[in-house]
Amino acid sequence: MSRRDRVALALKDVLPIMLAYFPLSITFGVLAAASGVPWHTSIFSSIWIYSGGAQFMLISMLDTATAPTTIIATILLVNMRHILYGATMGPNLAHWREPLKWLAAVGLTDESFVVTYNRAAAGEKLAPSYYLTFALAAYGSWIAGTVVGAGIGEIVPSEAAAVLSFALPALFLALLFAGERTLPHLLAACTGAALATLAGLMNLGGIGLISGGLIGATAGQLLYRQRSRISKQAKS
Amino acid sequence: MESQLWIIFLIGAGTYLFRAGSLVLGSRVQWSERTKEWLSYVSPAVLGALLGPLLLLDEGQWVPIKGNIMLLAAIPTIAVAWWTRRLLLTVTAGIACFAVLYYFM
Repeated sequence: MSRRDRVALALKDVLPIMLAYFPLSITFGVLAAASGVPWHTSIFSSIWIYSGGAQFMLISMLDTATAPTTIIATILLVNMRHILYGATMGPNLAHWREPLKWLAAVGLTDESFVVTYNRAAAGEKLAPSYYLTFALAAYGSWIAGTVVGAGIGEIVPSEAAAVLSFALPALFLALLFAGERTLPHLLAACTGAALATLAGLMNLGGIGLISGGLIGATAGQLLYRQRSRISKQAKS
Repeated sequence: MESQLWIIFLIGAGTYLFRAGSLVLGSRVQWSERTKEWLSYVSPAVLGALLGPLLLLDEGQWVPIKGNIMLLAAIPTIAVAWWTRRLLLTVTAGIACFAVLYYFM
């Protein structure tokens, strides 16, 4: 495959993601403006963080005046899932030059990971021209949407902004239920939800998110291990 | 304002280090199965922890299920996510359901 073909293939693969990112980041820009975040701050957030879930969470947490350390710890905990993506993707880029690997990491979002990893899993060798075209196009679409959203944010009526506030829970629900959904995954989610809600009722919001994440993940893994032990016993 | 920029800076730097560190390391060493397994459950657990208070509470107070528009709108949203597995479609359908409930309840 020539370099030109790889670029064309990347553009074909990335198009659905660009179409999803653009309106979602407009929503982000509008919501940020509605909760009083200055336009340059939301654009900076899209360029520098480039993680939709994290950025939406950030505006909702700024809105409820959570302590900065809690905000940072919670969001970084949520984004720890990227370690999994990097570790899984890494072997496919082993033949790349070192600086290009560091560049590729910028584009490692949930959706980009899923699509490009599927290419690699199908047995294709990931070339820098393919991967970087893909990453850059998705990144550009995300930033462009934010610029539009932040620009029109001021003129969007407050009722529309109230309706758009469901974008965040809807995105979380989408990420949760469109991903892996085995019983252990659902147990992890329910444990997390129960602990965080309980902590919220006791006005311990931040602690609830972190302990919900840590204990929920552990509960999910324990159930998974128990189930795979039982199925192994059944087989032997 | 100043603190907002710092928060964004630290979150972005941390997220990039997660991505780059694991990618660069991942191209060299193999992670233990147990660690990878645990990490795969972190994301649903945290998503659950975020959703719980968002859907059930309002400023630390329990919202009665009957009048809880967020929770009611979550049900069709989950259905769409479950059957289509499409991110954009789910978010759009979710907002549409929420809008209907918001105006008619």
